[in-house]
Amino acid sequence: MASVSTLKRRESRRWSWVTTGVLYAICIALAVIFLFPIFWSILSSFKPPAEASASPPTFLPSRITLDNYRKLEDYGDGIGQYLFNSTATALMTVIGTILLSTLGGYGFSRFSFPGKNVLFIIILATLMIPFQSILVPLFLILTNLKLHNTLLGLALVYITFQLPFGIFIMRNTFDSVPRELEEAALLDGCSSLSLLYRVMLSLVRPGIITVGIYAFLNAWNEFLAALIFMTREERFTLPILLTSVRSGYYGAIDWGALQAGVTITILPCIVIFLLLQRYYVRGLMAGATK
Amino acid sequence: MTDQVAPSVTVTNIARRTYRRRRNYTGLFFVLPAVLFTFTFFVIPLIMTAFMSLHDWPLLGERKLIGLDNYVAMANDRQFWNSLLFTTRYTLLITPVIFILAFVLALLVNLPLRGVGIFRTAYFLPVVIGLGTSSLLWVWLLNDRVGIINPILSSVGLIDRSIVWLADPNYAMIAVIISVVWKTVGFTMILLLTGMQAIPEALYEAAKVDGAGYLQRIRYIMLPLLRRTFALALVLSVIGSYLGFDQFYIMTRGGPQNQTISVVYWIYTNSFTYFKLGYGAALSIVLLVILGILSLIQLRLLRDDTAF
Amino acid sequence: MCRRLFLFSLFTAFFLLSISVVAAQEPVTLTLWSRDANQAFVRQLVDAWNETHDNQIDVTIIPSAEFVTRFGTGAAAGEVPDLLPIDLIYVPEFARAGQLTDISEFASELPYFDQLSPSHVRLARYEDGLYALPFTAEGSVLIYNKGLFEAAGLDPEAPPTNYQEILEAARAIRALGDDTYGFYFSGACAGCNAFTFLPLIWASGGDVLSDDGLTATLDDPEVAAALEFYQQMWNEGLIPPGAQADSGTDFLNAFTTGTIGMAGTGAFSISVLKNDYPDIDFGITFLPGREGGVSSFAGGDSIAVPAGAQHVEEAFEFIEWALSDEVQLDIYAQTGQLPVRIDLAENEYFEADPRLTTNAEAMALGRTPYSFVYNQLFNDPNGPWLQMIQTAVFGGDVEGAVSTAQERFTQILSGQ
Repeated sequence: MASVSTLKRRESRRWSWVTTGVLYAICIALAVIFLFPIFWSILSSFKPPAEASASPPTFLPSRITLDNYRKLEDYGDGIGQYLFNSTATALMTVIGTILLSTLGGYGFSRFSFPGKNVLFIIILATLMIPFQSILVPLFLILTNLKLHNTLLGLALVYITFQLPFGIFIMRNTFDSVPRELEEAALLDGCSSLSLLYRVMLSLVRPGIITVGIYAFLNAWNEFLAALIFMTREERFTLPILLTSVRSGYYGAIDWGALQAGVTITILPCIVIFLLLQRYYVRGLMAGATK
Repeated sequence: MTDQVAPSVTVTNIARRTYRRRRNYTGLFFVLPAVLFTFTFFVIPLIMTAFMSLHDWPLLGERKLIGLDNYVAMANDRQFWNSLLFTTRYTLLITPVIFILAFVLALLVNLPLRGVGIFRTAYFLPVVIGLGTSSLLWVWLLNDRVGIINPILSSVGLIDRSIVWLADPNYAMIAVIISVVWKTVGFTMILLLTGMQAIPEALYEAAKVDGAGYLQRIRYIMLPLLRRTFALALVLSVIGSYLGFDQFYIMTRGGPQNQTISVVYWIYTNSFTYFKLGYGAALSIVLLVILGILSLIQLRLLRDDTAF
Repeated sequence: MCRRLFLFSLFTAFFLLSISVVAAQEPVTLTLWSRDANQAFVRQLVDAWNETHDNQIDVTIIPSAEFVTRFGTGAAAGEVPDLLPIDLIYVPEFARAGQLTDISEFASELPYFDQLSPSHVRLARYEDGLYALPFTAEGSVLIYNKGLFEAAGLDPEAPPTNYQEILEAARAIRALGDDTYGFYFSGACAGCNAFTFLPLIWASGGDVLSDDGLTATLDDPEVAAALEFYQQMWNEGLIPPGAQADSGTDFLNAFTTGTIGMAGTGAFSISVLKNDYPDIDFGITFLPGREGGVSSFAGGDSIAVPAGAQHVEEAFEFIEWALSDEVQLDIYAQTGQLPVRIDLAENEYFEADPRLTTNAEAMALGRTPYSFVYNQLFNDPNGPWLQMIQTAVFGGDVEGAVSTAQERFTQILSGQ
């Protein structure tokens, strides 16, 4: 995980053990605070349903059971189908968002063209409308395009709503890449597109990863659009399954099922995020300018 | 490389000013796919929503054209103005909390400590859960009978009896803010972090040579260079707070005593509880305009010498 | 870049293809959309149909909170199912909006038509038509913890029959310890209290709406009396403090912790308690009035055929099948579901557990408000019904609560 510059820094840094200790203590304390609710939820998901909502709450489970998870089996076509739907939609969203955001961000960053500011504002405005407000019109459009009840249609909508964030980030990222690199490449006779591809891409990777992660998370967790745009149950995604399983009459919640849902939602995300850790290493940019 | 560090001008900015932007239509082609998507799935529905706002449009049943009546009704809608006020107050309260915390966290995980990736993941992890689920999680944690927060707080002596967080006018808002901050601060942290990592190491080295201490380096090098990232994070956070709905619907149900009804909550109630889609549409359009103005103001204020 | 674009379009094409292949393989079927509150039963019922019939039914379970939104959005785009069980309180509004098919002809031919749950049928009438038939039945009842009753020195076989008796029982149970409470209700849940609090008013002879649902009658003295009753229990600390914030999430959970003496609930809780919380010995009785009398909120779903559905005749077949003797007994009653026909309230399956019979009887004598703006009045968490209860019970101002509610009710009703 360490790069050359990090090592160099460690050599030259004169931190006392005390400073390091204090910093670690702070980090760990914060980590405990952040992680505790999740840890507690996961722990409770393995308690028998009666114990998951016991009063007063028990700390350790009296016994480990998968009862809360079994509730997920009985819903519709089974969790496998919904996992597939969620994964497929999320992947399509990630690919589409990264593609469009990188292209768009590059365009807004490096070029000047008529209507540029107006277009940027319009794209940004996508953020400013609550989804509930355009639910019905969007559904009408999707139906007209025969994209209702398709994962592709859902992904296209998700991509659109990720664009403001994605383009904004990519534009900022491109902006901080020094021009000298581009000028050098252009002098060598590169076209804009291949310039983007060959030279810039590795430099803006952290930005792309951020955009990709956020796109994935939103597609993975999104509930309302997935529910409204899919007319048949076999197209439902994971959040809908998790909501239905825990809901009862008059808003009654099955706490055990909630915990199981939290656990299932988190696991793939942890894995992915841990895998992508190395793209956040400091010094990625520093190396480029030397 | 530059030897000096001036507050808001860096090598890249100088280079940018002397570098003529290619003024032709090439840029347009790059942004075209995004524009197409936005047009199809945002602009057109938006126009339809505006169209709906001119009608008495029930969720079920016949619609009726009523022109600007919805907008007129809005002026007299006390709940709307209360919601606007509340949402503004909420945003003003939660934004600094998120940003200060996110900045501190970003600084922490930017340090060359061993295992910092684990901390990064830990702080980011709550972001991974959806807001609806996270809100329910906190309802459970804060529950006075089955929740774990009250027992923990009383076992360390911070409180002497169980607090009913979400029914207590003093604590309800705090509880919602804590849960939202917990869930979202990791995201702002990552944004700031990405910006921090784009700052070349050499600038810090140079400043250190000149005798600048840690806080000075942050103030004179990091903050100015973070301006763009900061602007982005701020705009996103403010918009997100303004559009807050799930947390209020799930945690406080707009209570206690209808005090925590946000603007989107009110839109939702009108559209899907009262089935008055037309009025909900009108409220949405007004909200869009307000947010647009707010965002423009923010971006203007945080400009760093280039057209935002 | 070109290579990436190519990969992307290949990827997209693959998905489009696989999706359309899946679509092409589906047989022609009926579609049924139901809310998730009763999903296990609905699936079971449909499975039973699918096993014995050629026409297949494809079920889609939709979270309750988004159910109407989903239907409305779908209807706007012409995507409606063939069968739609809806919460019966919505039927008048749906019918008035022209969203449902008039099934009066079909219904009149059913031999047991007069035995169908009167509340469901009444709410399905609009002008001269009948737009839905009962599908699932719910009735609100008072559930009580027999174990706690015994421990408090009360007779577990003699549950309370009026406000005073509830009060005394609650006090006795509260005295058992810090963690036990006498009574529970969800203080921030509008619908829960329509379900469990309205019957108290009805049983006392009062009402909040006129029969035609067009006039508010909250100034009825029984309304204030019921509010004062709850207020008293709250002031005496007989109800857990957390009830004030409960938006319905603990509607059942509170009782299942085994630390609550009495609470209003429905038939749904019976099977949950028996399966997941077998340690709790509970009893079921009617919700009483101030000085006696009993009542209940008759709820559940009514099944309708949306306007524009594709397979209307086949949908009728399913409805007729679901209402038939065999199905009502062998599928509904056997699994602990209340039959929707009052002639079947007493049956062999319920003999084993008389609590179910009590619940079924409650449903049979139950009432339901008929209103085109039910949501706005009774279900809106920020609406007049819940606000009235909260102001009166937690805020202590019964008079003010009632008069404000009466005003707002009248306002909403006149805006129709």
